[in-house]
Amino acid sequence: MTALGDYLKRDPNTIRPDDHLRDDLGLDSMATIELLYQIEEAFDFQIPDQDLQKLLTVADVIGYVEGRLRPSSPARATGRTGKRLPAKKKG
Amino acid sequence: MKNRVVITGLGIVSPIGIGVGQFWKAALEARSGITAIRSFDPFPMETYRSRIAGQVGDFNPSQYLEAVHANRVDRYAQFALTAVKEALADSGLRMEEETPHRVGVIVGAGMGGMVMGEREITTLYRNQKPHRVHPNFIPVITLNSASGIVAMAHGAKGPNLTISTACSSSAHAIGQALTCIRTGQADVVITAGADASITPLVFAGFCSLRVLSTGFNDDPARASRPFDRARDGFVMGEGAGALILESLAHARRRKARMYAEVAGYAATSEAYHMVIPREDGVDVAATMSLALRDAAVLPAQVDYINAHATSTPIGDVVEVRAIRRVFKTRAERVSVNATKSMIGHTLGAAGAIGGIVCALALDTGLVHPTVNYDDPDPDCALQGIARETRRRPLKVALLNAFGFGSNNAAVVFKTLIR
Repeated sequence: MTALGDYLKRDPNTIRPDDHLRDDLGLDSMATIELLYQIEEAFDFQIPDQDLQKLLTVADVIGYVEGRLRPSSPARATGRTGKRLPAKKKG
Repeated sequence: MKNRVVITGLGIVSPIGIGVGQFWKAALEARSGITAIRSFDPFPMETYRSRIAGQVGDFNPSQYLEAVHANRVDRYAQFALTAVKEALADSGLRMEEETPHRVGVIVGAGMGGMVMGEREITTLYRNQKPHRVHPNFIPVITLNSASGIVAMAHGAKGPNLTISTACSSSAHAIGQALTCIRTGQADVVITAGADASITPLVFAGFCSLRVLSTGFNDDPARASRPFDRARDGFVMGEGAGALILESLAHARRRKARMYAEVAGYAATSEAYHMVIPREDGVDVAATMSLALRDAAVLPAQVDYINAHATSTPIGDVVEVRAIRRVFKTRAERVSVNATKSMIGHTLGAAGAIGGIVCALALDTGLVHPTVNYDDPDPDCALQGIARETRRRPLKVALLNAFGFGSNNAAVVFKTLIR
């Protein structure tokens, strides 16, 4: 959520898990892609296009990132699974 | 009285053929020109989300062009030169009999000389020798290198312009050529569109933008599927198209063969978003309506639409919404096809190639298929979209082209009564 707060340039405490990226936070599809681009960088994995449509709310994104970082999760598509955890995981 | 404008010559470089004859035959046979990208040396293709494109295979510039011109410019401008050479020959126009200042050149290009551009930037940062940047770097990457070299190759000294509005560039080139001849600035305008930027950086950029198809990397011919439910993005293409536009009076005087009349044109901006179209399609609809009005044609008279139809989930829906808005019940009766289903999205060349298809359709009465239209998406399906070639009595055709930067163009073509 810190990443999201950073991206939106607003206090992470004002963002709720059930916020809809488009309807509540005002992210259009381009802005969503930019956000996911930053998440890919922060967590060192790739998000395939096919997964984009599943990411509608803040909770979807958090759940997706956690799922991808879980060592037992099957590696997806071309992305490397996130073995190196960045120091700051989430807010 | 405005001058009427006609098309008297065509030329093309495309992923399904170099030369109009080869292209048209392949298009009517529904042949796909989408193939796997072999490599972006040194990067393995696995590092790219999308790995396919509409590529012009075995293009050897020396087969078509004199070295003095070909060696001075990038691949996209070599494509433009090749297409223009064919179009001029096709038109029968003899430059030595023309007044040079009455022949203009207008070229649409979206990306420009990116092959050399990327190579020089890479070399500069790798070797750190600014004095070793190639002396031809600036002339090659300057976006009007194609319109410049075309004029030099043929001694065309009239208005020389380059239009860069991303994917609508060369639809505007046709429209501006129309305006140029209508208003009497020129008798003839060599009109072209060209792009060749399937390069490591540009392709990666389109991947990052998440606009390319990624679900058909193992089955390239099925990837570009406008209006189909399974479409998942556009397939990048490369190529060039050229059309010789001239005043009707000029064409009659020299007894030229005429494919069609360029009858109307509209240019608008949605003033909305850099890459996303307005979902309700009102601006796209307005653009089509303005072009029809400029051509003094009613929606009910339109027989055929060469759609922009890039095969992105949102773009195809918006365009069909706009078509329904303009054409009402006729939307289900007008023939519609997507040239990009076979060649991918040739960016700056797309409008010119669409214009060529309109001219050929009016000339032959044939509407080429839209390939991979297997499972029509109810949100953008129309009765007039077909998987096979159809013969139709065609009198009026409409070309759509939309570009990043919130940019729209529409051009209307009519048959000439012979």
